[in-house]
Amino acid sequence: MSELKLEIQGLHVAIDGKEIVKGLDLTICGGEIHAIMGPNGTGKSTLASALMGHPRYEVVRGQVLLNGENVLDMSVDERARAGLFLAMQYPAEVSGVSNANFMRQALNAKLGEGHEMPVLKFHRQLQDRMKKLNVDESFADRYLNEGFSGGEKKRNEILQMSMLEPKVAILDEIDSGLDIDALKIVAEGVNTLRSPETGFLIITHYQRLLNYIVPDHVHVMMQGRIVKSGGRELAEYLEAHGYDGLKAELGIEDETVEVGI
Amino acid sequence: MAEQMMDTFAGRALSGKLGEPGWLSGLREEALQFFQSAEIPWLEKTDLRRRGFDWLDGPEARVHEAAKALYDQLDGPKALVVDGVLQFVDAPVEVLEAGVIFGDLHACASKHEKIVQKHLFSAVSHTESKWAAMNAAAFRGGVFLYVPEHVVLDRPVVIIRAQTSVHAGAYPRTLVVGDVQSSGAVTEVFFRAPGTPSKEATTSVVEVIAKADAHWKIGIVDEILDGPAHFHERRAVVDKDASVDWVFASTGDGFAWSSLQTVLKGAGARSTMRILGTSVGRMHHDLTAKMVHQGRSTESDIVMHGVLRGRSNAVFRSCTEIVKGAVDAGSEQHDRMIVLDSSARADAIPMLLIDENDVKRCGHAASVGKIDPIQVYYLMSRGIPEKQALKMIIWGYLEQTVAEMPAPEALRDLLVGRVEKGLVG
Ligand SMILES: Nc1ncnc2c1ncn2[C@@H]1O[C@H](COP(=O)(O)OP(=O)(O)O)[C@@H](O)[C@H]1O
Ligand SMILES: [Mg+2]
Repeated sequence: MSELKLEIQGLHVAIDGKEIVKGLDLTICGGEIHAIMGPNGTGKSTLASALMGHPRYEVVRGQVLLNGENVLDMSVDERARAGLFLAMQYPAEVSGVSNANFMRQALNAKLGEGHEMPVLKFHRQLQDRMKKLNVDESFADRYLNEGFSGGEKKRNEILQMSMLEPKVAILDEIDSGLDIDALKIVAEGVNTLRSPETGFLIITHYQRLLNYIVPDHVHVMMQGRIVKSGGRELAEYLEAHGYDGLKAELGIEDETVEVGI
Repeated sequence: MAEQMMDTFAGRALSGKLGEPGWLSGLREEALQFFQSAEIPWLEKTDLRRRGFDWLDGPEARVHEAAKALYDQLDGPKALVVDGVLQFVDAPVEVLEAGVIFGDLHACASKHEKIVQKHLFSAVSHTESKWAAMNAAAFRGGVFLYVPEHVVLDRPVVIIRAQTSVHAGAYPRTLVVGDVQSSGAVTEVFFRAPGTPSKEATTSVVEVIAKADAHWKIGIVDEILDGPAHFHERRAVVDKDASVDWVFASTGDGFAWSSLQTVLKGAGARSTMRILGTSVGRMHHDLTAKMVHQGRSTESDIVMHGVLRGRSNAVFRSCTEIVKGAVDAGSEQHDRMIVLDSSARADAIPMLLIDENDVKRCGHAASVGKIDPIQVYYLMSRGIPEKQALKMIIWGYLEQTVAEMPAPEALRDLLVGRVEKGLVG
């Protein structure tokens, strides 16, 4: 399983009948870190949710292949077990289900029946990852995201990622709501997982995160499409000129103007 | 069996057969007459037109293996009643030496006449309703627990009630009296027999009397199976600064009207109810959890969770009554019902009957809904299959109630198994 390849081809995604992602192509290989940047409301979360299989998002056209297998044919849990992971922008709260229980069930689902991780080993691993991510011990017994602050939720997503060790990790605005120390810890969590077998798709509005997680490729998304791709210098260009600067350069008109085309 | 056909299994005749004292025979006869003359009641959400109050009178007691196996696993005070006959009863020596009375209610009615006479029918009167009268006239396999002043039971008392046939042991009754400053826990668990819908009725009663400063936890693990109509009254009367905490669980596919009630009689009395109900098949379950605040500064808290599947129907009412003069009362209600199949129907009805202006706090929340698909998506996005995700979310609601059931592990496992059986498949 050395080679990893996630291919997104001609993807169109709609929500409530309205097309948000309008033809998107992207290939992520093992060892690569891709960043998608873009203004709010351009469809970044829509892309991420469609890849994971969120029930409200409808893939209108296009395909997604993970090592040649059709991801869009898989149920959400099958996608996860195939190696896809989405750190969500707004993860759900589930009362009555403890974080530890949730992660153990998830890990065991991935390992498969008969290969479950022994309880003690699981807890040792969980303690270890929690320590590395500077997450309070009480996390394990707290109910899943219930009453968590924005920053705690983000760290919990990263904790889950570090426990599940996915093949493709999609991080949707993992940096929002984090102070600089938390940001460094989260980045550290990602960098630890970096390997030739793992690919990352990092969605962010700001380039701040990319100082700590250095991307190989940067894509700018606007109005449901990737409008420009480049190396990490593209993020720096955006930092200097803003999205409006890029829009002007590319001759992109505002959304309101586009209505009716 | 039609009402008029009864001879030796209710009223004075039954009482005589069980060797009960005269006062009890008299009350049973009164109950029987009340029962026979009482109209079939009209119930708001329970349609009795195709139901009735015909008697059930079954074969003599046989062996119930699952119930006996559970009984054998328990090591605290325990009783096993099969088909209306108290087959086994046991309590550790130190418990009996402390003056605890535990055993056959019918025999205790003579042997401990004063205390039984004072308390029997004191929480649920023998002529209170058609079904209460039916039970008073016909109860068998009655169990009595008396815990004297200052005595603390450190292990829960378990009363197992089993049927080998739907016709047998249809009228159970339990009386618990916790004297001043006593404390402990009692759990009653049912193994019922399945049948087909009929015009017969089964009725059970539990009376709990908590004297001043007594603290009792009462568990009920009920199983409502298809067959006769079920009518159940479980009620506690709580004295000054005493408390009764109920943990109630019911599973099954039968037809039931049931009531769980605490009368907060003394000042400073407290009560909580944690209720879990699962409904499958064509179950009809009309359940009222009620707190009656009579004393000053009394506190109550109701938490109900229902999970419905198939074509079942459940009505869960939480009711707080604060009578005039019960100043400074506090009460909280929380009722959440989860409908798993769109063919099931759930009603969550909060009720407040308040006749006193000086209320400290009074809150209620009730909701009926499906499981949030976004929560399911979240769990699935980490690789957990849909069925398992649903189960985890549902257990998230129910787990604490199971955990609080005052019972040994073996009994909690039994309850978990029954709940699971209703949730999957
Ligand atoms: N539930 C919804 N119904 C209709 N439109 C939605 C819904 N959720 C998001 N949108 C729209 O989809 C567009 C893209 O949203 P999103 O993918 O969240 O953007 P981004 O993550 O890039 O900020 C926005 O214009 C937003 O208003
Ligand atoms: Mg977004």
